[in-house]
Parts: sequence; C-alpha cells; structure tokens
Amino acid sequence: MELKAPALYAPALRQIPVLIAGLVIALPVAIVLVTGLAEGGGAAWAHIRDTLLARYLSGTLAVLALTAILCLLMAVPAAWLVTMFRFPGRGVFEWLLVLPLAAPGYVLAYAWSDLAGVAGPLQSGLRAATGWSAREYWFPDISSLPGLSFVLACSLYPYVYLTARAAFIAQSVCTMEAARSLGAGAGRTFWSVALPAARPAIAAGLALALMEAAADYGAAEFLGVPTLTFGIVRAWKSFGDPAAAARLAFVLLALILTFVIVERWSRGRAGTQQSSIRWRQIPRAVLSGPAALGATALCTSLFAAAFALPVGRLVWRSLESGARSTRIWDALGNSILLAGAGAALAFILALIIALSIRARGPLATFARIAASSGYAIPGAVLALGALAVIGSLPVTLSGITALAALAWVYAVRFTAAGTEPMAAALARAPVSIGQAAQSLGASPLRRTFAVDLPVAMSGAAAAALVLFVEALKELPATLMLRPFNWDTLSVRAYAYASDERLAAAALPALLITLAGLLPVILLSWQISRARPGGAE
Amino acid sequence: MTGRLETISVTRSYGTRVIVENVTLSLAPGEITALLGGSGAGKSTLLRLLAGLEPVDAGEVRLGSRILSAPGRTLPPEQRRIGLIFQDFALFPHLTAARNVAFGLKHLPRDQAAATVDRWIGLLGLAGRAGAYPHELSGGEQQRVAIARALAPEPAAILMDEPFSGLDPALSGSVREAALAAVRAAGIPALMVTHDPAEALESADQIAILSGGRLLQSGTAENVYLRPASLAAARALGAVNVFPRAVLPASWHAAAPQPGGFVGFRPEGVRLDPASKTRFVVRSRRLMGPLVRLTLDGHGLQLNALAPPSSAPMQGAEVGVSLDPALTFTFASDET
Repeated sequence: MELKAPALYAPALRQIPVLIAGLVIALPVAIVLVTGLAEGGGAAWAHIRDTLLARYLSGTLAVLALTAILCLLMAVPAAWLVTMFRFPGRGVFEWLLVLPLAAPGYVLAYAWSDLAGVAGPLQSGLRAATGWSAREYWFPDISSLPGLSFVLACSLYPYVYLTARAAFIAQSVCTMEAARSLGAGAGRTFWSVALPAARPAIAAGLALALMEAAADYGAAEFLGVPTLTFGIVRAWKSFGDPAAAARLAFVLLALILTFVIVERWSRGRAGTQQSSIRWRQIPRAVLSGPAALGATALCTSLFAAAFALPVGRLVWRSLESGARSTRIWDALGNSILLAGAGAALAFILALIIALSIRARGPLATFARIAASSGYAIPGAVLALGALAVIGSLPVTLSGITALAALAWVYAVRFTAAGTEPMAAALARAPVSIGQAAQSLGASPLRRTFAVDLPVAMSGAAAAALVLFVEALKELPATLMLRPFNWDTLSVRAYAYASDERLAAAALPALLITLAGLLPVILLSWQISRARPGGAE
Repeated sequence: MTGRLETISVTRSYGTRVIVENVTLSLAPGEITALLGGSGAGKSTLLRLLAGLEPVDAGEVRLGSRILSAPGRTLPPEQRRIGLIFQDFALFPHLTAARNVAFGLKHLPRDQAAATVDRWIGLLGLAGRAGAYPHELSGGEQQRVAIARALAPEPAAILMDEPFSGLDPALSGSVREAALAAVRAAGIPALMVTHDPAEALESADQIAILSGGRLLQSGTAENVYLRPASLAAARALGAVNVFPRAVLPASWHAAAPQPGGFVGFRPEGVRLDPASKTRFVVRSRRLMGPLVRLTLDGHGLQLNALAPPSSAPMQGAEVGVSLDPALTFTFASDET
C-alpha cells in the first residue's frame, strides 16, 4: 500500500463554503454600518437628528422598558405556577401558554385595537351593561405607548415563559428542600433561591423578547407610536434617504448591543449551573380552594389576553366577512413561495455553519457570530443593507431581483434559528461516530454526507419549519423590498389594517397565526418531553 | 441539648406501593445513626418523613415530646429546625460559600450572623474560601460548606442523605472524619443514610438496617454485626456463608449451640486450624488487598474464607478448618 502525504490543501478548501455563508450573512449588516457612517449625514439626517431622534429614542426606550416589565409579570409567575404546583388545568396551561408565540405583534395589534376600540365588543358590551354613552367613561386606549407595550408583551412573553419554565424545571429540587430545612418558607424559597438561580435564563429570554420588540415595525406603525424601527422605515419611505435611515439604524443597533452586553454582564461570577446530579420528579404541591382558583384564573386570563380573545376575534371577523377577496389567496401563494425560498436559503446556510462548528476554526466562529448577529438585527435594517447592495449593482429592484433580495434578507435574519437545532443535534451525537466512520475507511467527504449530514437532519425538520414560519411572519423588510404590486399575507394584512379595513385584515392575519402555530406546537411538545425531572 | 428524634410506627405509601412500613426508630442526641439499606429500601423516604418533606400515612414523628408529623398533620420543614445534607450538597449556586452558610441565620442580628458564619467557616477549614461560589469549590469543600450551612443555625437534629457518596473515593475518608466530628460535636441526633456497610460500621454509633421499607434491626455497630437478628440483617453488613445445620460437619455444631435450622458464619470466622480434623481443599485463592479470599471445598460444601496473605494456603492445598463462635450465627430460616 502506498503512503500518501496528508492533503494539506483540503482543510482550506473545505473552509470555503462556511466562509461564503458567513459573508452572505454579514454583508448587509456591514453595508448598513458603512453607509450610515459614510453617507448618512445629509439634510434628511439633520432634520431627523434635530426634530425626531429624541422622540424615536425615548419612544423605543419607554416601549422596551414597559414591555420588559409586562413580559416578566406575565411570564414568571405563570411559569412558576405550572412548574411547581398542581391546580385545575395545569397540564393544559403548561403548553397553552406558549401558543401566543404564533401571533406576530402586528397581528395582535390589529385584533386588540378592533376588540378594544369604541365600536368593538368590549366597549359596546360595557355600554350595554351600564347604559353609559361613549363619553361617560374612560377606557384604555390601545393606540398608545402602553397599548403597544401590552400587545408586544402578549406576543413575546412566551420567550420568557419558556426559558423561566425550563430553568425552574432544571433546578435541583434538593436546593429548594435545603432552603426549607434552613427555615425559608415557600415565599423566601422562591425569591432568594429559585428566582436568582433562574435569573440568567429569564434574562436571556427577556433579551430575545426585547430584540423582537425593538425590531417591531407593524404594531408601532399601526398604533402610532414613534419608535426607532418606525423611524428607520419612515426615513427610507418618506424622506427617500436610505443613508439617513442607515444612520438611524446605528442608534438602534447600539441599543441592541447594549442589551446583549448587559445580559452577559448580569450573569457575573455567580454560578447558575446546578450542582445537582440527582434528578427527582418535582413534587408539585397541590393547590386547593382560593389558591387553586387564583392560579387557574391567572393562567386563564393570560391566555385569554394574549391569544384566545384576539385570535378568536380574528376568526369571528374572518367568518363574518368571508374570504371574498381573491387577493388573499394570491397573497397566500406568494407568501408560501417567498417564505419557502427564504427558508431554503437559510436552511442551506444553517447546515453549512452547523457542520462546520465541529471543525472549529476561526471561519466557523465568524459564520456563527454573523448568524447570531443577523438574528438580532431588525428586518428593516437588513432591508436597508440589501437596498444598498442592489443600488451599487447594475440592476433595479424589481421582479426576480427583489424576490432574491428578500429571500437573502430572510436568510440573514433567521439562519441562526436553524443553526441552533442542527448544531444541537450534532452535539448530541458523540464525536466518536465520525472517528468510527474514518476508521472504517470513509473519506472526509463521505463522512460528511454519510454520517454528519443525516445526524444534523434529525434536528432539521424542526429548523426548517421554524425558518419557514419566521419568514412568513416578517413584515418590514417585505414591505421595503417586495416587487411592486406583489403582496404577501403580512403585507396584505398590513395594507388592509392601514386602511382601517380591519375586517379584511382579519383573514390574512389569521392565516399567518395558524401557520405560526405549527412550529409552536412542535416546540412545546418537544419541551414537555425533553427534560429530566419534568415528566409527569 | 435537644431531645431524641423518633419515628413511631411510621408508614408511607405511594398509591398501593408501601415504601416505609411501620418503622420505629429512635435517634439519640450526640449519636450518629447510620440508616443502611440497598436501593429501594426506603432509606431516603424515611429521611424525608423525618424532615417533613413528606407526610406520614400512619404513625408519628417526634422531636423530644413534640409531635412533628402525624397522619393529616405535618409541621412544614421550615418550622422543624432539622438540618439536611444532600448527596449532591444542593448548595445555592448564586451565593458564595459564606452566604450559603448565612442562609439559615436570618433570625440573627447581622453582626451576630456574620460572626457565626466566620466561626463555622473556620471550624470546617474553609477560611480563605468564604468568598468563592460553589462551582469554584472542590467537591470536598462543597461538602464542608453544606455541613457548615446545615449546622450553623443550631438545628435540633441533622439528616444526611448519602453525604459522602458524591465524593472522590480517595477524598471521602478524610472529609468524612472531619465532617462527622463536627456533627458529633453539635450534640444533636444525627441520621446518615448510606448503602455502604463499611461506611456505616466505621462512622456510626448506631446502625439501623432497612429492607423493603421495614426495619430489620437496629443497635450498636458491634451488636448488629456480631448478633444479627436475621440472615437479611447479617447480609446487609457483609458476606455470610449459610447452610442447613444438618449438612454441617458434626465438629462444627458446638460453634453454633443455639437451636435453629440454619447456621451462618462470616468468611473471617472461618479459621484455618491445623489441629482441626475437618479438612477442606483450597479450590481458589485470590488476593483482595489486605486479605486473601479462599474458596474451600469439602464435606459436600463450598465456602468462602478470608486469611492474611502470609498464612493463606496455596491453591490445591488441604487445610483443617474450624469456626469462630463469635462470628457464627443461627437463623430460623434462610430467607432474606
């Protein structure tokens, strides 16, 4: 047998796909930053800076602060209740409370503003019950900053709920028993043991929720609350100055970066890794009487506010108006096509990155960081980047070019959502299976296709579904990049709602929510099974 | 000085499965009682009943004259003043060693609590590690923090659930000595759950053997080892050769004079005795560390014996064998 020298060029060659993947993802962000710095200083920027920036910034900060508070109040007590106690409906609420994740903020904004408007069922009911006229009482206004925060919290609290619940389930039961043996009652055990131990998980969930809240355009625009993302789209649309918009995006990105840093820093030196090596089923205390009633009532009202009421209203409105408009069915087809294309591109990028993680190396790290930063960056900002790239090329933003640009932006935004489940699937498989393949004579290429790829694919189905639905729900980038007169469901819902035609907006909004339910149900099903100590 | 911690005929079932059945056990202040049994014997459940982490279905748990648990009535753990030490130590991961120890001292004024923490940290040789978080401590240090945390509030009793089994074997010996010295010095009833007979014999003043949820025997280590109440109790503490009395060589009957259908004797009770006319052949010989384990054949029997390496015969040799009456027991049945 002939001995060959190791093929030195091969590892470098194999790095090429991941380099390309990383560049594809990093490009729009880099372009936005460069454009904003180099060209964003025109008259439009001067106007925005002097008259609007303070409003946008304070609006965003206030919305984020209030949304954070509401998310915590909604998510943490509910997560604690369903994890630690038994009460009527507990088992159902455990996964039911995840469902609001399916409805994007702008959909809830349309539904809630219809529900709580002067002519809506809540106020009509109040007037019918009391005999008051519309001027004789005060009713919370959804078209306000608190209203926007409420709507965003309704659609985003599940991020916090999921991470808090996972942290509560994962913590050592012994730790809590130790606290009780040291004289701490149930209250002190929660505040000084369970909550601090879960704090990093809660912070991580909250950081995700707030990134999404900062990226929201549809709800803020509809409810008339000036935020940075709202301002970015406006600077591009009304002032026609993408460079000024890019400079505004700088402010938003700085804000998001601050969140990430604060979240990292808040972990500090304190450990959160449970030292527990023993898993015991959580001995859920049985609630009875008023306590049980209160727990059930809390979970019921949370689910009603975040999902049952608004989505029920959309169903009602859709049935009422019927599906007369063929534009909806065209839009559905367009949505599926576009989300499919975006998801396919994101899927390929995610696969390349996930497979490269095991090989380590600086390029894999670069691609993975690029993917997770893409995930943190609002669609409106990425759309600016894509616009700048297209503007520098000899093509116009129309037809297939526009669709390709959109699929690209979706991929940049959501690749991280696909990388993580695939990387997790690969991490679960022992490194030795690859070594076994090599010892059986498989070449690196064959090893990739015959071993690593099938393993990664076990996490791929869920990833593909998540990617598809995320792309389907995306609004601001779709608005900015779509070809003229080419609507998707989200664009249709937005257009109808902007025209105050909420009845017509109901069906596309509902279809988006129904599609969104698929991965959410899959997710909650997986979570309820995957954790030691969590099973009934 | 506190009173005894006692269970009186306690029973606990999960559904139809009885986990702890009619157990009466008394823990004296200043003594360490080892609760010994295999997995599923009900050890941890009995500990949880004492701690108030689970209610009793029948019987009572008492501390001195005070009733802690009775059917339908359970004083919650936070009101019992009973310290707990877990196999995994269950330290609060977000608190430093010192703040872990301080957790149970909330009732004390701040300066007094700080002084108490310092005292316990010093007592268990943790000075210099007080500011470290649990994940920065070694296993042995975590163990000592757990003990300091449990003892600092001056509990009325202390319960330890396999406290040393999570430690590196090389470490557990020295850690155990220091830890149990601190527990003993507290002068309170102490219970240590273990599945390791050597640990129970070495560390405990009293041994209680639990099997299938029932208490087989309790008493001093020597008493339980040398006077087992049943074959199961004898086996819980070490290996036993057991045969029907009728098949034993007649010369051995004198070693087990009490009536009973079955005779058991520990391997170290098999004496290699050149004067004995009861001869066996060495079938196998294996060095186990300080002693050699011999398998002996003869008189239609096969038995295990232990001997020091210097005096152990070679394989195939013929040896005279007699029994040490102190290590020979009589049982009514050979059921375990």
